[in-house]
Amino acid sequence: MTAYLVAVGIVALIYMLLTLGLNLQYGYTGLINFGHVAFFAIGAYASALLTLSGWPMAPAFAVGTLLAGLAAWPIGLLSLRLSDDYLAVVTLGFSEAVRITIQEERWLTKGVQGLPGIPRMFQSLGIGEYAEIATLALLVVVNAAAVALVVHLVRSPYGRLIQAIRDDEVAVEALGKHPARLKVQVFMVGAALAGLAGGFYAHFITYLSPDQFLPLVTFYVWIAMIIGGPGRTAGAVAGATILMVFLEGSRFTRELVPGVSEVQLASVRIAMIGLALILMTLYRPQGIFGERKE
Amino acid sequence: MSAKGRPEGELLPPGGKARSAKGAPVSAKGRPEGAPASPGATAQAARAAPPLLAATGLVKAFGGFRAVDDVAFEVAERQLTGIVGTNGAGKSTAFALVAGQLAPDAGSVTLGGDDITRLSPSARARRGLARTFQVPREFTHLTVRDNLLAAAPRTSGETLSSVFLQPRRVRAEEAAQAAIAERWLAFLNLAAVADLHAGKLSGGQKKLLELGRVLMLAPRLILLDEPFAGVNPVLIGEISARIRELNATEGIAFVIIEHNLEALKRLVSQLYVMDRGRVIAEGDPAAVLADARVQEAYMGGVI
Amino acid sequence: MTTAVDFVNLALNGLVEGLLIALPALALTLVMGIARFPNAATGDYMTVSAYAALGVQKALGVAIAVAAIGAAAAGIAVALFFHLWVFRALARRRPVASLVASIGIAFLVRALLTLFVGQEQQTFQVALVRAWNFGGVRLLPTDLYAALGAIVAMAALFALLHATPIGRQMRAVADNPDLARASGIRAGRVMLVMWACTGALCAVGGVLMGVKAVVMPELGWELLIPAFAAMILGGIGSVPGAVAGGVLLGMVQELSIPFVGPSYKIAVTFGVMLAVLLLRPRGLFGSAPAAR
Repeated sequence: MTAYLVAVGIVALIYMLLTLGLNLQYGYTGLINFGHVAFFAIGAYASALLTLSGWPMAPAFAVGTLLAGLAAWPIGLLSLRLSDDYLAVVTLGFSEAVRITIQEERWLTKGVQGLPGIPRMFQSLGIGEYAEIATLALLVVVNAAAVALVVHLVRSPYGRLIQAIRDDEVAVEALGKHPARLKVQVFMVGAALAGLAGGFYAHFITYLSPDQFLPLVTFYVWIAMIIGGPGRTAGAVAGATILMVFLEGSRFTRELVPGVSEVQLASVRIAMIGLALILMTLYRPQGIFGERKE
Repeated sequence: MSAKGRPEGELLPPGGKARSAKGAPVSAKGRPEGAPASPGATAQAARAAPPLLAATGLVKAFGGFRAVDDVAFEVAERQLTGIVGTNGAGKSTAFALVAGQLAPDAGSVTLGGDDITRLSPSARARRGLARTFQVPREFTHLTVRDNLLAAAPRTSGETLSSVFLQPRRVRAEEAAQAAIAERWLAFLNLAAVADLHAGKLSGGQKKLLELGRVLMLAPRLILLDEPFAGVNPVLIGEISARIRELNATEGIAFVIIEHNLEALKRLVSQLYVMDRGRVIAEGDPAAVLADARVQEAYMGGVI
Repeated sequence: MTTAVDFVNLALNGLVEGLLIALPALALTLVMGIARFPNAATGDYMTVSAYAALGVQKALGVAIAVAAIGAAAAGIAVALFFHLWVFRALARRRPVASLVASIGIAFLVRALLTLFVGQEQQTFQVALVRAWNFGGVRLLPTDLYAALGAIVAMAALFALLHATPIGRQMRAVADNPDLARASGIRAGRVMLVMWACTGALCAVGGVLMGVKAVVMPELGWELLIPAFAAMILGGIGSVPGAVAGGVLLGMVQELSIPFVGPSYKIAVTFGVMLAVLLLRPRGLFGSAPAAR
């Protein structure tokens, strides 16, 4: 039971990192990123491949995070030329292009076969089952640091300006500012957080395959952010937790209602996510806690 | 106080004596004393030194429709100028061409003699040409105070690395800007609502907020797009008084688009009338409004 | 070694696929032009319609052309339902609200379909005919019929837009919504007709795609990005543009196979979309640029 809770906690904290990144991009800056999973995948594969080729884990994590951030650079530049809706479509297309590339470049990623045997975090310490607890603890620290970073950022003049960009970019330009620089930076920082989350994911799951990086993951993160309320850091934390309770909770329905197949359960779960996106957008665009009106 | 290398970003609070940092380069270019009151004087001044703002031969077409068709106007230092015209006469389009939100199909815009036709809106704003919008573009989810601070001239706090590596410097600059913002808030009677989200303000308050925001830029010229639209009469008087005061003490020139002719007439020294994309009359407000063509094209006998 | 004849075959196949991509691209461009958001559920409306046709055919044993009527009914019903429930309520909010909701609809529809019909691939009962062979250039009769079906649907839309009062009103709203409202056009009715058209286009597209390939829950979702790319390529809001964009994209996709393999289709699509957005943001026929 403890092992189960630890595992759930780890996944929840990974989602939390993803949500913090997306919230910085969309919630604070208004960048519609429908391809978050791509940066998650880049971080995961980079870190996994490097450790499998003998790198120590810490630099592999760093490179994965960095690569995810850098991959966001051209997309961020593109976002300067696109209105919001098109950025959404382009990022969605990008995430599918990344997934197909992972699937096809077998020499590197082993394609659909997947990448097994990725080293577990803290495994080399020989502390057995405590390795997972250590992972959980590290994730708590990393999330706390990410929250502190985001909170410090959004309360700074920089954070005020990105929120101004979200509210009215034309006005920001008319006031002598360059939204471009900030938008690209925020896009990269958010993607780097997703890349970092990817590193944790790879070394926790220990097996990667392209079908773990479907657009569905992006929208799991979106629903977590929307539930918590876009533009609220505490909301990102709460939203990721609620998402995890839902995803795990739905697993237990299988034990309560016998005869439900895995495919059926997955369908119900996806339908619920879809329904939640519709209902939240219609009735609670400010999140379930917020009173802020659009 | 403000970022290095931008002396013109220096800003004196309302009621300040002179704008030392700003006044210097302006007078160096030989700005004539006082604002010319009549169009004749403007033309004279233009020969002596470049006018503060000059637009020549501006054209902007949308599809086949010429929204702005060969428009020219001039604004001297410290001058208060009005633009009137029916809806669709091309006034707001002309503003967008001057401030850079739109690129003209032909024509040019100069500021203090420098060609700014190809500059971005933000570059123009940094040179002291600021504008407000017909439909207020407040930052809805920011407080009124943060709306002003967001407009503060570029500080180190807007650089990602400084936010984390130089927190002390960022805090100091922020405090300086906050003090300036506080004074403008008081000047515009917005201090009481400083902590409200800007989206919650009334229409008139949003107009004031936009004015406060551009004042943070310490501009030489402000383009106001319908500052009195949807504003109650008491507040109109107040906004007019503030414009006069800013003009007198800070030396800021204004170009004002307005439908409220009574209020505008009392405020400006020069008036342009636009109709179907063209300027059909210009000069002294009283004389222009008495012009038969203006009466016909625009007023329809309203006055 | 790819011969010239192979290229002709690929181009031909690309043409047919392109015509099928053009149908959801048209549905997207209609919504984009009039309701002003990218409808991410477009593909899933196709899927619903394809399954509806499949159901009708199984239940009644009728020909595919008859079953398509059932598909159209389903497509129109689902499009109108989500318009009335979701998009009408979101019309006054920022486009991103409708966009996010349409993603939710896409997931909901696809998941419910999977739940009730399962993940297995299914096929329509179509008489198996051998391909015609013109000196190596092969053409499947079913492909020809699919292409003809798509062309008929497009012609019908074109006629509706240009030869009927409601069509003219739709174009007026797309051109200038404020002006259209000022001149007394009832926006609500225009919206209903537009969504009905969208549903019908998706229905034809879904059935024809099902005939050409197989019917499965991902049928439409996988066409979403190609349809977007076709719309952007042709120029947002342009009906002939969506058709040209679809055909061009279909051919580029097929002709790229000898060089990058069939799996990279979606990446090729993404590349085309990027190239258009960067080099010619208004697309082939568009007036309003997608980028700024």
